[in-house]
Amino acid sequence: MKKNVYVYLLLLPGLIILLLFLAAPLFSTVFRTFQGNEGLTLAKYIAFFKDSYNRGVYIRTLKLALLTTLIAVILGFPTSYYISRLSRRARGLYIIFAVFPLLTSPVVRSFSWMVILGKNGILNSILLKLNLIEEPLRLLYNEFSIVIGLVYLFLPLMIMSLVGVMENIDEDLIEAAESLGATRREVFIRVIFPLSIPGLIVGSVLVFTGSITAYTTPQLLGGSNTTVLATLIYQNAMSLFDWDTASVVATIMILTTVFVTFLINKLSSRLNA
Amino acid sequence: MALLSLKNISVAYGKNVVLKNLNLDVEKGELVSLLGPSGCGKTTTLRLIGGFVEAKNGRFVFNGKDYTKIPVHKRNFGFVFQNYALFPHLTVFDNVAFGLKQRNIPKNEIKKRVMEILETVGLKDYADRSPRELSGGQKQRVALARALVIQPDLLLLDEPLSNLDAKLRVKMRLEIRKIQQEYNITAIYVTHDQEECFSISDRVAVMNNGVIEQLDTPQKIYNLPRTEFVANFVGFENFIELELEAKERGGGGFYKLKNGQRFKVTHFNGREYERYVKGAIRPEEIDILNEGGGKETNTLKGIIGISTFLGKHYQYVVETEVGRLLVNGSAHKRYEKGERVTLYFPEDKIVLV
Ligand SMILES: Nc1ncnc2c1ncn2[C@@H]1O[C@H](COP(=O)(O)OP(=O)(O)OP(=O)(O)O)[C@@H](O)[C@H]1O
Ligand SMILES: [Mg+2]
Repeated sequence: MKKNVYVYLLLLPGLIILLLFLAAPLFSTVFRTFQGNEGLTLAKYIAFFKDSYNRGVYIRTLKLALLTTLIAVILGFPTSYYISRLSRRARGLYIIFAVFPLLTSPVVRSFSWMVILGKNGILNSILLKLNLIEEPLRLLYNEFSIVIGLVYLFLPLMIMSLVGVMENIDEDLIEAAESLGATRREVFIRVIFPLSIPGLIVGSVLVFTGSITAYTTPQLLGGSNTTVLATLIYQNAMSLFDWDTASVVATIMILTTVFVTFLINKLSSRLNA
Repeated sequence: MALLSLKNISVAYGKNVVLKNLNLDVEKGELVSLLGPSGCGKTTTLRLIGGFVEAKNGRFVFNGKDYTKIPVHKRNFGFVFQNYALFPHLTVFDNVAFGLKQRNIPKNEIKKRVMEILETVGLKDYADRSPRELSGGQKQRVALARALVIQPDLLLLDEPLSNLDAKLRVKMRLEIRKIQQEYNITAIYVTHDQEECFSISDRVAVMNNGVIEQLDTPQKIYNLPRTEFVANFVGFENFIELELEAKERGGGGFYKLKNGQRFKVTHFNGREYERYVKGAIRPEEIDILNEGGGKETNTLKGIIGISTFLGKHYQYVVETEVGRLLVNGSAHKRYEKGERVTLYFPEDKIVLV
């Protein structure tokens, strides 16, 4: 018994730092949003959602984050499966390639997408040269370019989570399924997919959380009519000095993330059954 | 015609040739074991038959059809893996039902057949458990049931018992044999445990370095090995170079040793008409006589070297004019190091290889 107390004592310094610098500000941020003139109230939230502009931003952010997560799942799954079946050495190499985008700053990455997607960008020039289009497409400063930027940014997280789980799926299981009459596709559906769900959950939560809170990418690749929650916080706090609204938006963001994480978990365990 | 034939199969991993012009015929209803030292290609042979490994050369004919290029999922072979390979996300029932669901069999029929086979392997009450909640022996039974329930045309087992303790191994191998005979399933069984292999098989294929050295009944493999490798593998530890001098009427013959001594050999295994052969004999078949000993042929003089106590007997290293031999002697009397003895080699215990 006595020993246990000492073990907890060791946790104390870390705990104090966490409480002081993370939990306390977080709590005070959340708390003030519920504070009214007389006790606790949801007035600020109701006011926020009454504003159609705010509603639009919220729905757009949610839509972009979900779309990004969905695309990351679709792109990440086959890629991760391929990587997970490689030899140990090749796997390491491919992982490094996959993670490479994470090693550069989001600003640099967004700028390179501007070079690719811009009016006189690489993509438009190629399409023009091939006579596939008559005038440059508007690929930049809209939701399309934000999603592209976000997928590019967060796909590595999805791949890493999935590879981590998939590489532990024993080759024997795949062979056993095949010997029982399953084609490659059926093996994937009946064995690989269900066994990858834990990685899928972690990956989706990471990508979703990352996308819904992303600031730089939507700011640089988006336009004036593609404001997202993170930009809204910035505008309210830094330009309008409206800390109350900024806190409300932040809290909404947190609650949405928690809620969607919960949903993803639920949905996945449903799939598993 | 054989149910299964491998014809001149070669398999290579990169430059490393693992199977070399391998030939194997298995009859319907037979259990054939692949026996051999680690790395000799047993698993590779089994995986080739299962369709997991591709042949570089040669053909695999099954039931009169060329199976060489048929994909795994169309072969209808049951495969039992060394580490069971049960699906961790499925219950025992669903593991066993996996292959049946794949075959679009109606639900109640699946249920009936799964429960039936679980009853056979003694796991009727475990249907709803997860593989995590099973012991090694139980997992092995599930793996077996899963492979059997699809009514496979061929059952392939890769060291299915090697992760179990010795007692359970004996029990399980009897069960596997019983079920195999009951269902009249043709089976190929990989193992490197001799006793297990001999007790369970109709025929044994002893493999070495990517070829089958001998395919015979367990009795023949044990008593009449045809090559030095097989002889050595089943416990013939002494090999004496012989040269044919005279054939005997009715089989057997007289042979000259390197030191001029004569041996009479009366064993038959098809090697007796070759001029230069080796006489193989087990340590326990050589008799130790006191010096002199009174016999003329089939003896060698020797000096006792190191001796070890093996429980049932002493084992001696004996130096002779034709080399070092291993000889077992009675546990009641221990010969001293340096003692001169005469070794007697019974004519019907020497096998020519
Ligand atoms: N996937 C592989 N890639 C390269 N070489 C392999 C591969 N699998 C097996 N080998 C080689 O092929 C040879 C035969 O292997 P195999 O697994 O068939 O042996 P085995 O007889 O089953 O041995 P054990 O009793 O140890 O299981 C070995 O030398 C092994 O190193
Ligand atoms: Mg093996």
